[in-house]
Amino acid sequence: MSTHGKPEGDAVSGGEAAVSEDVTAVNEGVTAVSVGGAAVRANGAAVSGDGAAAAPRPWWHWRRLTRGRWRPALAAAVVGALLGGTGVAWQAEAGPFGRERACWGAFDEDDVADLFHGKRDIKSSEVGVSYDRIASDGPSGACELLSPRGHRVRARLHQLDVRFAGAGDKWADEFLSARMTPIGGGFLGMVSDTRAWLAVPEGCVGRNSDREGPLVFDMEAGWTTYDDVVDTGERARLARAVVTLVNDYMAGRGCDSPIPDPTARLAAPARFLDEKRDAICGVQGLRLPGRDRESRFERPLVTGGTAAPVRTCDRDVLFGHPRLRLMTVEDPRLALIYKGLSYDGGRRVTAAGDTGDQVRGRGFLRDDMGLFQASCQTGEVTFLVRAADGGRAADVRRLLPRYAALEADRLGCGPLRLRLPS
Amino acid sequence: MTGESPGDAPGGTQRLARVRGLVRTGRGAAAGGLVLALLASGAGTWATDTWPFDGRDRYCWGAWEQDSGPGILGDEAFGGDDGRSRTATGSAPTADTRRGECRLTVSSHDRYGDGDEKRQRTTVTVKYGPAPASVGDRVGWLGGYLGDRAMPLPDGLPGVADGHHGLLVLPKRCDTRDGRPTAVTLDAREQAEADAVLARVPDLGGSRAVAELLVAAANKGMESAGCAGAEPLLVSGPVPTLPERAETFARGGACRIPGLDIEGDLDKETALRVQYQVGAVNDELQSCSVRIGRSLRLGERSDQQLFDAVMVREPRLTALLDGADDGRASGRPPGGTLGKGWRGTGVSGKGYALVRAGCAGRPTAFLTFGTSTGSADEYFATFSNAVARRLGCAPVAPGADDRGSGR
Repeated sequence: MSTHGKPEGDAVSGGEAAVSEDVTAVNEGVTAVSVGGAAVRANGAAVSGDGAAAAPRPWWHWRRLTRGRWRPALAAAVVGALLGGTGVAWQAEAGPFGRERACWGAFDEDDVADLFHGKRDIKSSEVGVSYDRIASDGPSGACELLSPRGHRVRARLHQLDVRFAGAGDKWADEFLSARMTPIGGGFLGMVSDTRAWLAVPEGCVGRNSDREGPLVFDMEAGWTTYDDVVDTGERARLARAVVTLVNDYMAGRGCDSPIPDPTARLAAPARFLDEKRDAICGVQGLRLPGRDRESRFERPLVTGGTAAPVRTCDRDVLFGHPRLRLMTVEDPRLALIYKGLSYDGGRRVTAAGDTGDQVRGRGFLRDDMGLFQASCQTGEVTFLVRAADGGRAADVRRLLPRYAALEADRLGCGPLRLRLPS
Repeated sequence: MTGESPGDAPGGTQRLARVRGLVRTGRGAAAGGLVLALLASGAGTWATDTWPFDGRDRYCWGAWEQDSGPGILGDEAFGGDDGRSRTATGSAPTADTRRGECRLTVSSHDRYGDGDEKRQRTTVTVKYGPAPASVGDRVGWLGGYLGDRAMPLPDGLPGVADGHHGLLVLPKRCDTRDGRPTAVTLDAREQAEADAVLARVPDLGGSRAVAELLVAAANKGMESAGCAGAEPLLVSGPVPTLPERAETFARGGACRIPGLDIEGDLDKETALRVQYQVGAVNDELQSCSVRIGRSLRLGERSDQQLFDAVMVREPRLTALLDGADDGRASGRPPGGTLGKGWRGTGVSGKGYALVRAGCAGRPTAFLTFGTSTGSADEYFATFSNAVARRLGCAPVAPGADDRGSGR
């Protein structure tokens, strides 16, 4: 440039100023275009007024730009910019493409619509994920989705309560009921057409100590008229939703490997069992003396699917509360919800062969409930027989030792012989 | 660029004139459009941070890419702020050798004001190839990966991992010509500081990161060895379960194995330092590791291995043991230390034992390794029978009546 600078210097010295002016103007013009058409017009007017006397208008002049061969180029540029901007906004779901999200941002409109059979007029309200003052309960939060027709779906994040005499037992009433099937894939969770729960995988939040329950998302979608028919379509919706909640929570903690859609691997829901006299709840060898007893109990429902964290046998269920439940909590992380209760539930149950420093576990017997928490190779396992009231004290007492012994054998935790208090 | 200073101006006008001339032709308009498009896409890639020419480094046969997920490949791999480097050496397997090895070294250091210096040197070694030939080596090799804190890989992949080592068995099509399976293993080490009291455990980003590294190395290795399948192996889901914390006192037997009383054989002082690590306990895998925790007071830097036993019956993992116990009845193992009366086949030697027997309809392997204390055989018998009982099959070790089944 310096070699050419000298000879041309004088010739274009007038133009030099003009060029530098031009450049400023161009810069202004560019800014103006990006701001809006009005600004371009104002700027253009000023320029045209100024340079009316000058012979040909410079190429960047707005009049020249809006006609002749520059016009298509300008139009293309504007259209391109608009398209690009729109595309970016759409991708980023910003501006007019912003979507409403519900339940801590986990559900987009499609997720919510999926839960409500395609209806999109759903209102949501929520309590954000928060901790108590000393973070002793773990994070918790709640969310409610409400349709104008009065349909309601609730979601909750909480650590399963393992303290104070079995608050978890109430949760277990509904969320471990025999209508639930395991979510599978090695994940700790279950789902039915009205309830779903799923623990946040340990790979993301770490393993809890044995004094803390697992951190779970659970969902409730009301009640059905109780029978053994589980609507698999509804169940798939809840399963997808609860997995979405957990995946969103994990993503927020930097765990970028989501749980895949579990619906394909869900087992068939449980159906009422034709109970044999010597196989109550399908447990071979478990029987109750007396002829009329079979008719007194309604037909039982037993947890379906393989590798379930619990095996529950419910009968005569009214609003989630079974009149009689026989349950084995096989997953040690879940059995924790009965750990507190096992220490102080009632008169003590011990196991045969216990010595001073080595015991098989601990348990209790009450009129309405018998429980034994055994230490197995897999960890703690809960065996539980529970009636809705004290009216079946004799049955509870008869069932518990036999049920625990047979179930312990099934799990490879036998022999387990319980000693009941007199 | 033009008009930055008056000296630029003459050249600027020239260029402007040239551009004007170019635009007059149709080709020019097309070129202008192209420039616009490039600018726009450039802005887009900048905005979305998806620059295609990011110059990311690749390591270990090109299997691992910088910043691709696992912590060891990201910035968080460096402990210090200065002298950061991440290098890899080694060669990929070929169709002929079918063996490969790679060593990734991550180093950095921090220098403090008082002249003190902290150095980090993490090495990750990946090996591709069949299991060691010698039986003793093989049992110890496999047990070392399956035991302690190892958990099964997610997504049902035949393998295990913990936070710093892991093993993955490749599909049958990668077996050696004599039918032995090929495995990819990963081991990470942290070089101890000269004055460090405790050896540090390397952090690769968790057991899922180890799984990802294993799978990436396996896919690349299979490609190089010419046995890649139509679909690469994939680890997609999160890790559902982590291993339990080590226990310091045994209730109802070490590792919850009924009758496995190890503390009883130790003096009181040592018994207090015993740690039990229960690994996986499921249908495919169960492990129990007993260590004497290091005593800083006595100047011990690492835990002492006391007893390690594993049950495995995942078919691809047990295939790694094929041929190790051929035709030798466990009652009379050559040079073995196991007594008579074991069920199935087996082999044992100094510091290891392997017994394979059918269990509830599935071939099952029981192994112990790394210890040659006097009671190790007895512990192993107790472990094997208790686990067999849990799986619902007949005892494998002799003397089940007074051991194992007692409770």
